[in-house]
Amino acid sequence: MSRIILTAAIRGSHAIVNRVAKKVEEAIEKFGPDQKVELPNTGYYLPIIWGILGIPVTKLGDMPRVVEYCKNLLPPIPDEKNWLPYLGPGLDAGMATLLSYDMEEALKYLEDPLPYLPLAEDCDDEHLWLGAADDRIMRKRGVEFVDGTAPGFAAIVGAAPDNETAVKIAKELQEKNLYVFMASDHNGVNMAEQLKEEGVQLGWTTRLVPFGKDTSAAIHAMGFATRVAMAFGGVKPGDYVKILRYNKNRVFAFVMALGHVTDEWYAAAAGCINWGFPTIADSNIPQILPTGVCTYEHVVSNVPHDQIVSKAIEVRGLKIQVAKVPVPVSYGPAFEGERIGKDAMHVELAGPKAMGVEFCTSAPLDEVQDGKIELVGPDFKDMEEGSRHSLGILVTVAGRKMQEDFEPILERQIHHFLNWAEGVLHIGQRDIIWLRISKKAMEKGFSAIHFGKILHARFHSEFNNIVDKIQVNIYTEEDKVKLLLDKARTVWKERDERLAGLTDDAVDTFYSCTLCQSFAPNHVCIITPERPGLCGAYNWLDGKAAYEINPTGPNQPVKKGEVVDEKLGKWKGVDEFVYPTSHNTIQSFSAYSIMNDPMTSCGCFECITVVLPMANGVMIVDRDSTCMTPCGMTFSTLAGTVGGGLQTPGFIGMSKFYIGSKKFISADGGFKRIVWMPKALKEQLKDMLVKRSEEIGIPDFYDKIATEEDATTEEEVIEFMNKVGHPALEMEPMM
Amino acid sequence: MAFTPPLEKYAGKIREVVIGKGDKVVKLGGHNAMPGCIFDGDFPNLPKIALEVFDSAPEDWAPEAIKPYEDVVNDPVAWAKKAVDVYNAELVCLHLKSTDPNGENVGADEAAQLAKKVSDSISVPLIVLGSGNAEKDGEVAAKVCEVCAGQNLLVGLAVEDNYKKIGAAAIGYGHCVAAQSPIDVNLAKQLNILLDNLGVPLDKIVMEPSTGALGYGIEYTYSVMERIELAALSQNDDKMQLPIMNIMAVETWKTREAKLDVDAEPTFGDLSKRGILWEAMTAVDLILSGTSLLIMRHPEAVRLTKEIIEELYLGK
Amino acid sequence: MGLTGIQIYKLLPKTNCKECGEPTCLAFAMKLAAGKAELAKCPYVSDEAKEQLSEASAPPIRGITLGTGENAFKIGEEVVLYRHEKTFVNQPGYGILITDTMDDTEVEAKIKRLNEMFFERVGLTLTADFAALKNESGDPSKFESLTQKVMGLTQKALVLISENVDALSAAGKVAKDRRPLLYAATKENADQVGALAKELGVPVAAKANGLDELIELSEKLTSIGLKDIVLDPGNRKLKDLYADLHFHRRAALKDKFKPLGFPFITFPNEMTDDPMKEALYAAIFVAKYAGLIVLSDLDAHRMLPLTVQRLNIYTDPQRPMIMEQGIYEINKPDKSSPVLLTTNFALTYFIVSAEIEASRVPSWLLVMDTEGLSVLTAWSAGKFVADAIAPFVKKSGIEEKVDHRNIIIPGYVAQISGELEEELGGDWKVVLGTREASDIPAFLRTYASKG
Ligand code: SF4
Ligand code: SF4
Repeated sequence: MSRIILTAAIRGSHAIVNRVAKKVEEAIEKFGPDQKVELPNTGYYLPIIWGILGIPVTKLGDMPRVVEYCKNLLPPIPDEKNWLPYLGPGLDAGMATLLSYDMEEALKYLEDPLPYLPLAEDCDDEHLWLGAADDRIMRKRGVEFVDGTAPGFAAIVGAAPDNETAVKIAKELQEKNLYVFMASDHNGVNMAEQLKEEGVQLGWTTRLVPFGKDTSAAIHAMGFATRVAMAFGGVKPGDYVKILRYNKNRVFAFVMALGHVTDEWYAAAAGCINWGFPTIADSNIPQILPTGVCTYEHVVSNVPHDQIVSKAIEVRGLKIQVAKVPVPVSYGPAFEGERIGKDAMHVELAGPKAMGVEFCTSAPLDEVQDGKIELVGPDFKDMEEGSRHSLGILVTVAGRKMQEDFEPILERQIHHFLNWAEGVLHIGQRDIIWLRISKKAMEKGFSAIHFGKILHARFHSEFNNIVDKIQVNIYTEEDKVKLLLDKARTVWKERDERLAGLTDDAVDTFYSCTLCQSFAPNHVCIITPERPGLCGAYNWLDGKAAYEINPTGPNQPVKKGEVVDEKLGKWKGVDEFVYPTSHNTIQSFSAYSIMNDPMTSCGCFECITVVLPMANGVMIVDRDSTCMTPCGMTFSTLAGTVGGGLQTPGFIGMSKFYIGSKKFISADGGFKRIVWMPKALKEQLKDMLVKRSEEIGIPDFYDKIATEEDATTEEEVIEFMNKVGHPALEMEPMM
Repeated sequence: MAFTPPLEKYAGKIREVVIGKGDKVVKLGGHNAMPGCIFDGDFPNLPKIALEVFDSAPEDWAPEAIKPYEDVVNDPVAWAKKAVDVYNAELVCLHLKSTDPNGENVGADEAAQLAKKVSDSISVPLIVLGSGNAEKDGEVAAKVCEVCAGQNLLVGLAVEDNYKKIGAAAIGYGHCVAAQSPIDVNLAKQLNILLDNLGVPLDKIVMEPSTGALGYGIEYTYSVMERIELAALSQNDDKMQLPIMNIMAVETWKTREAKLDVDAEPTFGDLSKRGILWEAMTAVDLILSGTSLLIMRHPEAVRLTKEIIEELYLGK
Repeated sequence: MGLTGIQIYKLLPKTNCKECGEPTCLAFAMKLAAGKAELAKCPYVSDEAKEQLSEASAPPIRGITLGTGENAFKIGEEVVLYRHEKTFVNQPGYGILITDTMDDTEVEAKIKRLNEMFFERVGLTLTADFAALKNESGDPSKFESLTQKVMGLTQKALVLISENVDALSAAGKVAKDRRPLLYAATKENADQVGALAKELGVPVAAKANGLDELIELSEKLTSIGLKDIVLDPGNRKLKDLYADLHFHRRAALKDKFKPLGFPFITFPNEMTDDPMKEALYAAIFVAKYAGLIVLSDLDAHRMLPLTVQRLNIYTDPQRPMIMEQGIYEINKPDKSSPVLLTTNFALTYFIVSAEIEASRVPSWLLVMDTEGLSVLTAWSAGKFVADAIAPFVKKSGIEEKVDHRNIIIPGYVAQISGELEEELGGDWKVVLGTREASDIPAFLRTYASKG
């Protein structure tokens, strides 16, 4: 922690604790120790003291004990030369400050006239300051915190430089559904007063809540948060660790310091860090960037007013929700299959006869401006009807949890997201995209900018966990498209190489998929870089991203752990995961064997590999094949035999990709074991098979694989193998 | 050598969920063995039966199902009282059907006031369900929670699309949540996790796995429930150890087997007994697969079901 | 549990001679492993292998067939405790009780109900299975003549109930070609009844007081060489019988405990006088492990739910909730019958087809593969939209089956009708059907009457 802040905060806290101590003394003198003190209509006493210390303060006489506690908490004021690198003393000082404020504000309720309007939801003409919220308000509003209607609050201390800025900031916070709690002053003015002057409605109803003009009144924000933890988190009073953790993890609140930061503000800000609430300041004060207590940074300063809200949101880790895709046409998966014929089409974009590129990349958070959409070149309405144009879409995302590996996954989604718009036809990805915009869509006012709007909204709603900011650039100008295309191609090349280089050995975590348990109760797919899920729809990166996006979903990380058998592909961690996840039915699992504890098969496999015992090899048959196979069973009979989440030695359901993997039944001899597959499948996978043939050093191996044209029974397969000199004949027996 | 009966001992146990407050309390769950297997474990609470009440007179009910309530269908409060006083309902389930935005679209406030009135006028705990429109149900349930604060009702249906609204209100105002997921073990668990993450205590949730009637998907419900119970008991899966409820009467009484009279279906036999049996047999299947709470309709079906429960568990 | 297909394969001759009816030894091995074939079908298995295999492949609960010909049915051979683990295999039989003290009209009426009890449901026929004849009078000759009479009235299987050995013997001789079940060998008469069963070559039931005694009896019958045995632990109280049935299934499956590895017979008719209650007991025994269920009568209002119960519990749960894509004929349609369209979500299909069936209007139902999604979900997922439906309809072959070009689509997807008509082209007209399945019969009747 910065020494300057720390010193200021500790200095401030000393002053506050001493001041409150004195006030308590005076009050006891004046009213006697048995004088009741309470906040209006609450079961939580003085909420900070009750929540953090578990002490129910009901009368003045209860206070000295707390004052004593605060004093003990206060660290010594560091002398000028001493370097104190720790956050700890600052946090303690902050806590002492807030506990003291709790008492200071409670004492106000003994004053006559009362400075606050108790039990009111909204301000009236005479009364601006509301003071503490009662339990009724706390419950009603707290529900919104929990259900996400209001993700949190901004506790604003001070005032904006002018009324206009105050209104702008308030509006922006309201738009994000945040509550705005206001207290303290800067040069004698509080933001609430600025808003009132501008005729803004204030109170709980508009979510703009003026607590009080003293800095101590900010405690009502913290009291609110602390009560929410007890009421909604079921946290017991005095269990301060849980109260603080609840707030850090669930209440998206932050302090916004507008104006000169005094020692007292520092002290209070330090207190708020305990709750995980960072401070964002508009003035130039030292920052506390390294993360630790708060989710991200603790104090960020010198933020311009037009960026202060978005910065605060970013620092607190608040997630943006875009409820509806803001386009003038209907939007939904029902329009995915829509076709747009020549006659219905307004313009065609990219496609075989023009340039096209769709590219998603990530950038550091401060280089991306969320929601920014830029179009370079003519918009659709300026394009001649029936014409054809090049198109480039660049999506730049940023996120605290974003990883480069997720870029291709996000990029693949662009297709679906755009295609869901009525009147937009979208085919392909990367540089083979092809789009059409219908005349109908144009009549409704569809513009290129809407591509950006769609992507912004959908990326936020689908990838909330990994993406915080999205910016979209759209190019319809030829040279710009070309530039983007060149850049994208370099990146794609790198990506493809990286993906190809991903091996099971190179990672320490696999991913599971249990989506199919709905009908195959005990089935678990273990997805490794070299072996995708057996339906072919999920590869390792997908699993990884799916987990980040939905940590409680069907894809979970599986630590490999200790190697049990390298050849078979058995790991301790994997077995330990599979056993309970398969409901205690699968004891052990081999990633690379068909004979020895093979992976279970659920039913959605793309193809099935079966041993042909006498041929000493395996055959592969895919879903599209209907003919009888040399093993004596058709695909559908096989599927019935091996499906349902059972481990069936000699049979595995798998993805087509796995055939070309170096780990394809590598424990049983691998690729060389393949003796038969349907012709259509063989041709479909030709490139992959030829490549593998070369890799294993038998370039003509592709031709040694029989198809139904060469053999339909096991005997005929063997005959064929003899004819072509199939290597499996020479291999050690499979069983 | 004498035969030793093979017993099953499980590591897990279903949480006990308490619905209601004060002297009107019903406890669900708490068992540590599969349904009816009293030789394996303990069943501190037997499956309970709630009777249905609708907020507006039902239109197309089978005559046999209407008969017991003919005099009260227009007055939900009287209906609820009759269910309790005459037909001995252990709980009452109020369906706020008329809040359906595609139907009468009664507002959340009005519906919540009705819920309170019903709750205040009966001596058993109340279950309040919406119309099945997720968004509106969220709104209605949240209001019900607020208006009936502290009564510890069972409020629903929380589904993936509205669980936050209902869950938050239930926590804030002290109620239990009825959580429905689409007939799938993992989705059921997922919803429990979501509610748990939201802060709803797991002993304040009852799962509704999507209930099919006999002949209309009961087998799917049956197996999903068995799987949930087994996951809870034998794998000790914390997130599955919640009691199960079934909103079953609505499903059974809309089947044609429960509705068509002998003239329309000469081979189907006596209509009134057939309808009752359709409901009772569905109930029996749900008991065998692990329900803790049945939402039923016909008093005679309830009587039969109750007797089966008592015979099975208590040897009556 | 048992051996895997590959383990079994290793014990087979590996010649692919096909005499077992399977194209390869491997295919045969897989069937054996799944309990879907009998080892005896392969003539070439070595004795040694036979021993190893029959040990492993013998079902833990013996399969027993009662009745003959079309009316034969098999019980037992169950392999799991919970249906989701694999499936329940052989549906328990429902039987009607007839005693030799009933008068002729009553006997005839009951047999008539047994013969005629018949429901049709989604293309399946649901029936009852046997007559349970009881020697209530204690008079062997009365029992014999009842048996004779019933044999003449029905072809269904028989269970002969008497503890009087002479009566059993008399009736058994009359019925022996029908493959009846002799009920029952008890502690008192086990030797004689056992000998009788052996002589007649028919299955026999053992009835005892509790499981311990039952196990003794079962062992005794086995020891005299009987294989087809059915068990009755004697309990007539739900709670106790429920426990017995569980212990039986668990011991047989988990411990391979042979003496309890036979199907159980239950008597709901003896457990209550309330027919409704009786039906509920029967429903419980369907789900929980009975092989035979004896009922006092077969009234339609009880048998409809009971047969559906049995169908539901014994459905293969591993089949995902989807129907095969294609054309389904309902009520014998012809070239002019209406064509309806729906998705392949099983529940949607059940409900829609049941309603069409109920309408009695001969119809063609096109079931389209929407990956098991219901109509609205499929539509919103883009799987039940015009340009997916049109090719399906065209390729389905329906155009050859009807001479009109009208297709009725679910009311919920009204919005696609225009586009669908366009995509289908030709003379195709899209007709908007009902939103709720329950309105289908009324809709179809008016639709059909308009021609
Ligand atoms: S087959 Fe595909 S969807 Fe199913 S569990 Fe495996 S990876 Fe998941
Ligand atoms: S009969 Fe025997 S040897 Fe011949 S194919 Fe069948 S299992 Fe193989």
